[in-house]
Amino acid sequence: MSVPRLQFDGISKVFPAVRALNDVSFSVGAGEIHGLLGENGAGKSTLLRVLSGVYRPTVGSVLIDGQPVTLNNPVAARAAGVAMIHQELQQVPRLSVAQNMFLGHPITRGVFVASREQERRAAGALAALDSSIDPAAPLGSLKVAQRQIVEIARALLDSARIVAMDEPTSSLTPSEFERLAEVIAGLARDGVAVVYVSHKLDEVFGICQRATIMRDGVVVDSIDLAKVSEKAVVSMMVGRELAQEQHRSHASGDVRLKVRGLASAKKVRGVSFDLHRGEVLGIAGLVGSGRTELLRLLAGADRASAGTVEIGGKPIRLSTPRDAIAAGIGLVPEERKREGIVPLRSITSNMALASMGVFAPRGVIDHRGLKRVAAEKMKRVNLRPFLLDRPIRLFSGGNQQKAIIGRWLAAGTRILLFDEPTRGIDVGAKAEIYHLIEELAAEGHSVVVVSSELPEVIRLADRVLVMRDGAVAAELERASLSEQAIAAHAIPQSETQAGRARYA
Amino acid sequence: MTDITEHTAARPQADFLRRFSMRDAGTLIGLVVILAVFGALVPGFFAERNLINILQQSSINACLALGMTLVIISGGIDLSVGPTAALSAVISASMLVAGVPFPLAIATGFALGLACGLVNGILVAYVGLQPFIVTLGTLSSYRALALIYTGGNPVLGLPAGFRAIFNGSLFGLPLAVIIVAAVALIAWIILKKSPFGEYLLAVGGNEEAAYIAGVPIARTKIAAYMISGLLAALAAQILIGRLGAAEPILGNLWELDAIAAAAIGGASLMGGKGSVIGTILGAVILGAMRNGLTLMNVQSFYQLLATGLIILAAMLIDRVTRGRG
Repeated sequence: MSVPRLQFDGISKVFPAVRALNDVSFSVGAGEIHGLLGENGAGKSTLLRVLSGVYRPTVGSVLIDGQPVTLNNPVAARAAGVAMIHQELQQVPRLSVAQNMFLGHPITRGVFVASREQERRAAGALAALDSSIDPAAPLGSLKVAQRQIVEIARALLDSARIVAMDEPTSSLTPSEFERLAEVIAGLARDGVAVVYVSHKLDEVFGICQRATIMRDGVVVDSIDLAKVSEKAVVSMMVGRELAQEQHRSHASGDVRLKVRGLASAKKVRGVSFDLHRGEVLGIAGLVGSGRTELLRLLAGADRASAGTVEIGGKPIRLSTPRDAIAAGIGLVPEERKREGIVPLRSITSNMALASMGVFAPRGVIDHRGLKRVAAEKMKRVNLRPFLLDRPIRLFSGGNQQKAIIGRWLAAGTRILLFDEPTRGIDVGAKAEIYHLIEELAAEGHSVVVVSSELPEVIRLADRVLVMRDGAVAAELERASLSEQAIAAHAIPQSETQAGRARYA
Repeated sequence: MTDITEHTAARPQADFLRRFSMRDAGTLIGLVVILAVFGALVPGFFAERNLINILQQSSINACLALGMTLVIISGGIDLSVGPTAALSAVISASMLVAGVPFPLAIATGFALGLACGLVNGILVAYVGLQPFIVTLGTLSSYRALALIYTGGNPVLGLPAGFRAIFNGSLFGLPLAVIIVAAVALIAWIILKKSPFGEYLLAVGGNEEAAYIAGVPIARTKIAAYMISGLLAALAAQILIGRLGAAEPILGNLWELDAIAAAAIGGASLMGGKGSVIGTILGAVILGAMRNGLTLMNVQSFYQLLATGLIILAAMLIDRVTRGRG
């Protein structure tokens, strides 16, 4: 048997309070795409940080092509041929695409940066992924999906021997993922060892041959994906069986929210729909089809240029989020870190932020009452660990999301708008969030769920609006929901033939 | 669940101790160390008179630093506190000299401080300019207004009755110290117990998230700058009461001491973090050090150096002790 390209040999990493990794060993061959699976907190990210030189292992070593390597810092890791593609994009929006791709090791001519040469090479790397990206454009002008592609192109430029990807597809559309999968397969054909971390099991099954499953810092098993089922993998990840839930509708006939001809200066062009009491309304569509922008209009975060919104038959003004909150509308945003949480503040403070009027009726916060409500709401959303005074940044993405949901429960919100509710959230917490959304609907809340994951939309929604180019392209009832049906309406007509095949 | 609510409700004392955070404890240790060092080196440093002196000398900076702390928590900075104080001082002083009743003259000074803060706040919150640049601009402008108004000359001869107000003492403590202590208590209550305090921490901690959660961003920021302006005006009244005169160049470089006290006390210039207790301790640390060095007859150049080093040391300790998330 040949020497593996990458081998983890008995790696342990101990932090003051926790043992994050415990005797982790597995190997990845040259040309292999190896999945790394596990819930948040299982140790995947810590292991990737060891590989990329951010952490030094307490015990154990990393071997590349059979040779132990010392990865004391990210520069050393890069020199050893390790390229890391992060989940959180580590980029500088003001700089150009090319400047970002050469950040830290620019091409120079004398003391000057050779911008043209950088742009030429950047264009070369990008051509394989998305030739529509202009290397000279400021990175900030790109959509999140495109910025992700830039990050991947940057790893291509480094001609790395080992590429580690931490959730590279969390914001990509299916067709973009398809393109990425081709690129990853190409990397593997060139002999690169790919470590692929994703919460999306179907992707991992689609592109990886083998996978290592971690739980609580230890390797549960390294498996051949051809020989196991997704369900078996999930129970290895969470350590128990997850019940498969069936959809149940709680929608009533009462119209709670009536939207007519809603439009914005930017992306939304005349959207009309009704939202009922107890209903879960799914909104599908490609990234950039105006879904997020529509939610922001409804949440008062952006101002509409035309159209009306009625609640319970009364027209309402939505100039600021305060207006929306007063009308009983709350947004659970897509980018939790940027728009959801106040990282340094406690769970309780984050929860209370939208309902200060309730907790401080006479201008002084009733901390005792606040604690009682926080305990009640966080119990309700099953926050773990149940530490209400702990800064929210120390919680996993799933638990941060639960706290944001708790925020709206505390504020007495009746209409909840979810933008990609489970993005970057692990399998176990994902099931909990689904459950919570269903319970909210059962209690009579009205819910809107925007999601790029079609199985998620289908799992949750009573009815689905498919958006395309800022307008509603189709409204699909529960009975006629399928991934194919949604895809057929989501993709612009000119692309339909090619797109349908890719989306399916 | 019952478990948790009962626990926290039943222990107000533990609650208070928890509020007194690790970071504040660190600042307190810093103060104790500095006091111990000067106590050992300087005879009479611990004399009651000298300790009161330290508090009195720290009171003006503490007053400014409290306002600065709120602004810094909101993610901003207020460089214009010194000139705001000067403007408030010369206007109040010239009214007093002209025989205007004390309350009216003092109220006008306060109103001016609020107005200066309002201008800063509007430019930051509504126009969207960067706080550093806005207050750098008003730093020059307010100073210029004070100089233009007085023609560059000090306003002399404040009535003795006015001076008596701010030079009095209560329970053996100078009134200035008591006033600032009361202001600190109010600031602490604002930060810990009022929605405005939560809003400040949220706006500075993550403005976008605060906006989505319905926090009134602009009002919160403007209020922070207005409080800073008001406290600058208060500091001005205390100072002209003590000196009996108001100079248009009064308050030069005050902003730097105020920022230093807030930073030593744990405020982060990134916003979203800061402590009233820490800021007060920070101001006393700076005051105690200057007092000690002066008593030791150390040249003022070295005092400046010591101030600089203590700020850097505080930041280094901060960096080293901050645990990984």
